[in-house]
Amino acid sequence: MAYTFYPGCASEATGKASFISFEAVVKALDIDCHGEIPDWNCCGATLVANAIGDFAQQAIAARNLALAEKEGKDILVACSSCYLNLAWTNEKMKTDPDFKSQINEALGAGGLSYNASLQVRHLIDVLVNEIGLDKIRERTIKPLEGLKVACYSGCQTVRALRRPDFDDVEYPVMLDRLVEALGATAVPFPMAARCCGGSQQFTNPELIYDLTGKILDCAAENGADVIVTPCPMCALNTDAFQQKIAKLKNKEYNMPVLFVTQLMGVAFDLKPKDLALQYNIVSPYQKLAKYGVKK
Amino acid sequence: MTAANNQASRYDPAFANELYSIENGHYIKQCMQCGLCVVTCPARHLMDLQPRKYFKAIQAGDRDRVLKANTPWLCTSCNLCTVRCPRGIPIIDVMHGMKLYLAQKQGVKSAPGALFSKTFFDVMLKRGRQWEAWLTQMYFLKAGPSAIKDALKMMDVAQPMVLKRRLPLAPAKTIKGKSQLKKIYEKAAALAKEGH
Repeated sequence: MAYTFYPGCASEATGKASFISFEAVVKALDIDCHGEIPDWNCCGATLVANAIGDFAQQAIAARNLALAEKEGKDILVACSSCYLNLAWTNEKMKTDPDFKSQINEALGAGGLSYNASLQVRHLIDVLVNEIGLDKIRERTIKPLEGLKVACYSGCQTVRALRRPDFDDVEYPVMLDRLVEALGATAVPFPMAARCCGGSQQFTNPELIYDLTGKILDCAAENGADVIVTPCPMCALNTDAFQQKIAKLKNKEYNMPVLFVTQLMGVAFDLKPKDLALQYNIVSPYQKLAKYGVKK
Repeated sequence: MTAANNQASRYDPAFANELYSIENGHYIKQCMQCGLCVVTCPARHLMDLQPRKYFKAIQAGDRDRVLKANTPWLCTSCNLCTVRCPRGIPIIDVMHGMKLYLAQKQGVKSAPGALFSKTFFDVMLKRGRQWEAWLTQMYFLKAGPSAIKDALKMMDVAQPMVLKRRLPLAPAKTIKGKSQLKKIYEKAAALAKEGH
């Protein structure tokens, strides 16, 4: 299957390491990915619908679908919030004819239309169900033996379509399987699809301290060395807020947070520049040293 | 006015009907008060009215309680209540509709979440993409002096982010189709208004 990529705004800032390691892993696995959707725009994240309503946000998200349809390839998304907005809008375009005609009326104001011919796929889905764990096992040069991983799928990753999609909506397992194909151990992690607090860092910070704190506690209690996630918001909250939460709760954490493609890069023995570990706030070097990772 | 009259005027069916007619508002009628959303919601402990009571207050037309409640602003969009609701209410969509309604009714400065969402949208529409460092500055500028204290409390988080280049201070890319995006938005907003 051939894809065009939707990077999302986080790929240019808070989730830069996701973007860099994604590109390297795509290359390493020969995924047929033909660059970015030309001139893609912000999907609206979890915030724009609050300001303009669902329909108008979905019209904005649909501009990306229309631009991708011109390329004629399915859309690959790594960010969970972008996945939700694009995949859910796409689902409605495919299943609700009134919605489709209204969205197309809005797109028409910009000279675009979308015939709902594409699939929107999450990176985890494509890696596990299309590329396959065998190929990922085969490509693994440095098996991550002994590394205990809390696989944090994130909430929007598995609930974008509000029904079982490529994984269970409450207890996802695909990320665990992927991480185990790299030779690591996925520890029990009941918080795998629980919320980190999302984008409320400024508006309700105590919610982030509380929810992200619970995620960190759960990972630590289950003996994880690192947290792995595909989601830039999960990664931001668990990594950038970790020391602050430790201080507020009078606890100590040493829980590096890696994007799944960063961990794959370690197992695939990719170059340090492809791993993009210099963006990590909690240093992962000590825990990854035995797999040949150097600063 | 007598006490009985006061009590009677607290519940206003016209208010319930007004909210049933906002975007996604009609779903509120479906709530049967089972409370599954309450045990599900990760933000319930911070809510004035947990989702079940919030929906009941809307159904009852309890205007004051509904307008004062912080409930929708605490929704994180995690979608867990939406996949669990036995009546199939897309609670996340209802919360979006309520937030839009409240921001229009009470102004974007009535809640931090309203101001942050509006600022996020303004930056995004102008550039076509988000630029977090700019968004943060704009938000605190608009929020006024009282928010500066909150901003300072976040310096311990922001500093390593800047050092690790996760919060680039330089402008992010803008898209070529900015005016196209604006036209699509304006048309969509007009269509949404017609539909409700």
